[in-house]
Amino acid sequence: MNSPAAGTPAAQAASAATAPAAKRLTRNTLLTLVRREFWEHRVLWMAPLAVAGLLLLCALPAHVHLDMIDAAQWRDPDHNAAVFALAQWGLAAPHFLVMAIVLSFYLLDCLYAERRDRSILFWKSLPVSDGVTVGSKLLVALGVVPLGVFGVALVTNLLFTGIWNIRASIGHSEALVLWDTVTWLKAEAAIALVLIVSMLWYAPLAAYLLLMSAWARRNVILWASLPPVVAPIVERLAFGTHYIGRLISYRMHGSWAALSLPHAFEHSFSQAGHGRLMSASALLDGLNVPAAFANIDLWLGLLAAGAFAFAAARVRRYRDDG
Amino acid sequence: MTQVIEARGLKKSYGALRALEDLSFTVEPGRIVGLIGPNGAGKTTALKAILGLTRFEGQLQVLGRDPHSQRDALMQEVCFIADVAVLPRWLRVSQAVDLVAGVHPRFDRACAEEFLRNTDIRMRSRVRELSKGMVTQLHLALILAIDARLLVLDEPTLGLDLLYRRQFYDTLLGDYFDKERTILLTTHQVEEVENLLTDVIFISRGRVVLQSSVEALAGRFMQLTVNPEQAARARELKPFYQREVFGRIAMFFEGRSASELESLGEIRTPSIADLFVAKMQEIAA
Repeated sequence: MNSPAAGTPAAQAASAATAPAAKRLTRNTLLTLVRREFWEHRVLWMAPLAVAGLLLLCALPAHVHLDMIDAAQWRDPDHNAAVFALAQWGLAAPHFLVMAIVLSFYLLDCLYAERRDRSILFWKSLPVSDGVTVGSKLLVALGVVPLGVFGVALVTNLLFTGIWNIRASIGHSEALVLWDTVTWLKAEAAIALVLIVSMLWYAPLAAYLLLMSAWARRNVILWASLPPVVAPIVERLAFGTHYIGRLISYRMHGSWAALSLPHAFEHSFSQAGHGRLMSASALLDGLNVPAAFANIDLWLGLLAAGAFAFAAARVRRYRDDG
Repeated sequence: MTQVIEARGLKKSYGALRALEDLSFTVEPGRIVGLIGPNGAGKTTALKAILGLTRFEGQLQVLGRDPHSQRDALMQEVCFIADVAVLPRWLRVSQAVDLVAGVHPRFDRACAEEFLRNTDIRMRSRVRELSKGMVTQLHLALILAIDARLLVLDEPTLGLDLLYRRQFYDTLLGDYFDKERTILLTTHQVEEVENLLTDVIFISRGRVVLQSSVEALAGRFMQLTVNPEQAARARELKPFYQREVFGRIAMFFEGRSASELESLGEIRTPSIADLFVAKMQEIAA
């Protein structure tokens, strides 16, 4: 048994006196740890900028063949707004797709890398608890990076539209993307809401990847993919049921259902008329954000995320690599 | 003031291997203590226990805290360099300074930058671009700028050339050490730290063989060098270890006075390195 803690009254009084200082320090610590992640994993900020750069490069030579679409529609303002919003979503999609890939690899690597390069004892020599370390990585993956990518996507969208309109004004392309502030704000709001719900929905997946990163001795990707691949097969062979497989697949794309997103698309199609482009406002109206938050599965997922994160911190703390 | 480290009956096994077996010792404030033992004696395990990096049985208090359950609080007052300085290879020197400044309440940025100015290390460099000696210098710069009460060094100069090793210990003694601070270090190169230490703890097979201040060693141990003809008489005084050196015999005594021995041959206080070898041989015998 370890000896009992030295919880003398003097020590307690001292710790109470330094509480505000400690709080300031914790904030400072968190900020430093977040910066550290961007120093180590440069792909976290380079990838969004690269995507933005590529998209903007595309804005320069791009052409749209308008003869594909009924010319009469272009005189319809609703239709214009729909094209505008669609361009907005279309430009944002590559950002978030790349982000999802980058974050997955980041989460798998970040707790493994410090053991691989043997710097773990340096990190452990700093007065930063394992919980704060794991928390800082989740904060980066679920908060800082999504927020940053949202900002980069937003600026990309503005620049793209700007470039396109300059080209249109000097007669180099069709004035396809007419500026529409209300639609723009609505579409950005919809993107932001979907992003927030997605981050909360995928939090358990992120924390699971972190746990694997802390736990695996090598081949993190292999170990991380083993349970979701093997468990459904074992369940099928042993019981003939599919619960685990269904659960995994639900956790992978259930947020879209929780947001009523497919329904929203349907809704916007039916409102705009069959075979026509969806209207952005209709899409936003169809999005059911309160329902997503009222969905118990979202909160159960967060609970699971907390459990995975706790386990990751424990593994990092007590792993005795010898 | 209480002890900096108080260990009583520490036990730790890795499977069937017993790394620590009833290890007990104390470290007082303001001392430079060398934890010296052969490979596999349990030095690193003991340090890990002190730093709260491993579980153990027995009683252990570091700065009045339980290092295992109160590790996070302890790390504000304890610094360590584990093994060879291993810093993350992607880290820039300037980032390393920012990092420690950001998370450590007792870090003095100006002190670290001042130290680094006197080296060839540039702030823009990444750790992977630095030589091993420079990485150690960088690590030392970071550690020295932290006002810690206990500094733990586990083979800090392993793999460094003589110049860097000498410089390391000179800096440690000259710039860092004062009466408020305590240093606990392990090393294989006992000769190098001989003049640095105020205390030694010899450990072997997970137990303390000898704990003493360096001053007290002089009164307690004697090395007597005798010619072969005097050897029989000297052996009657029961040396705990003897070996032949250039045709003469060096004998090691514990608790004998100079007056008992000086008529037999040359006497002197054994060096820590010689004493260590003698003690280890005594156990093995």
